[in-house]
Amino acid sequence: MPITNLTPDDLVRFEEDIASEFNLGKIRAPVHLYYGCEQSMIEVFSQVAASDWVMCSWRSHYQCLLKGVPPEQIKAEIVAGHSITLCFPEYRIFSSAIVTGSLPIATGVALGIKRRGGHEKVWCFLGEMTAETGLAHECIKYATNFDLPIHFVVEDNGKSVCTDTRAAWNQPVLSWEKTAHPKVTYYQYETKYPHAGAGMRVQF
Amino acid sequence: MKYFDELKRSMDWLARDPRILFLGQAVECPGTAMTNTLKDVPRERLLEMPVDEELQMGMTTGLALDGSVPVSLFPRWNFLLLATNQLVGHLDKISVMSNGGFTPKAIIRTSIGSQRPLHPSHQHVGDYTDAFRLMCQSVEVIRLDEPEQIFPAYEKALLREDGRSTLIVEWGDYYSEK
Repeated sequence: MPITNLTPDDLVRFEEDIASEFNLGKIRAPVHLYYGCEQSMIEVFSQVAASDWVMCSWRSHYQCLLKGVPPEQIKAEIVAGHSITLCFPEYRIFSSAIVTGSLPIATGVALGIKRRGGHEKVWCFLGEMTAETGLAHECIKYATNFDLPIHFVVEDNGKSVCTDTRAAWNQPVLSWEKTAHPKVTYYQYETKYPHAGAGMRVQF
Repeated sequence: MKYFDELKRSMDWLARDPRILFLGQAVECPGTAMTNTLKDVPRERLLEMPVDEELQMGMTTGLALDGSVPVSLFPRWNFLLLATNQLVGHLDKISVMSNGGFTPKAIIRTSIGSQRPLHPSHQHVGDYTDAFRLMCQSVEVIRLDEPEQIFPAYEKALLREDGRSTLIVEWGDYYSEK
């Protein structure tokens, strides 16, 4: 039973609203918008329980919505300039604006859950460039070898900021792209938004 | 009491709290001077980690978010440098990032590497206490210069209710000299 009944259109409309506010100069901080992964994200969240942890990067609006944070509460935080590190402790959501930042923290939460015999799970979202780092491999290895209650979701939009991930690594097929790992979900999507902002130059 | 004895007394006292978990390199097995301070801690409270400082530091924060009070051992300052992102950029900032909602309590142990009787070279004897005091806004950095500072420092680190974590710096040479 999903936490919310949000549809792909609901998610898209939320980001379009934030894009509009940003382009009007009402948000004086970076925003990182999602587009094109709505169905994949809804499928992931069909398995997420309210008591689970969700650990994100700088792009996390969809996760917050699908975890059940009221849209107006998310928007208030975004307008306050916190889009890049949205944290909602009461919903067990943590986000880090640093590459790989949330991964070992997520692994530690999962270890804690396992040691005390808890039933919650940790869902850790990462981009495809992050997924190629040593720390990502270390976290996935540790979590797999100790069978921690954690699942990693690799979201591949092909780019890290503007850098082509495959070209930069000279690796046509990325590490998690064609594997069936029990603790990793991988999906590709194509976004209409730039890495940060909403596509218009805003003069603050 | 002497420096080492105060450290061991502090570890034994910490271990009486069920939330405490010691983790790091050479906590379950021999390997560093710090190991001996844990020799009477029950084994189930010790977690040997891979040598992977950033992973360990991040997992320390995660364990604390889940309700444990991890005591994370980095045998030398020079090794802890490898975990700077997770210490300075995450554990130290997580409270302000979450509007005060996340207040993980962790205890970080490190040491200024001993120079006597063997000098382990310049990559093992750094003291970055002052630098990390400047970099950390929330994590309190305490250097243990005298034996009588030791137990109060660890006691404060465990019992504090101000939402802050504590980084405690020991002197490797003082284990046998003070």
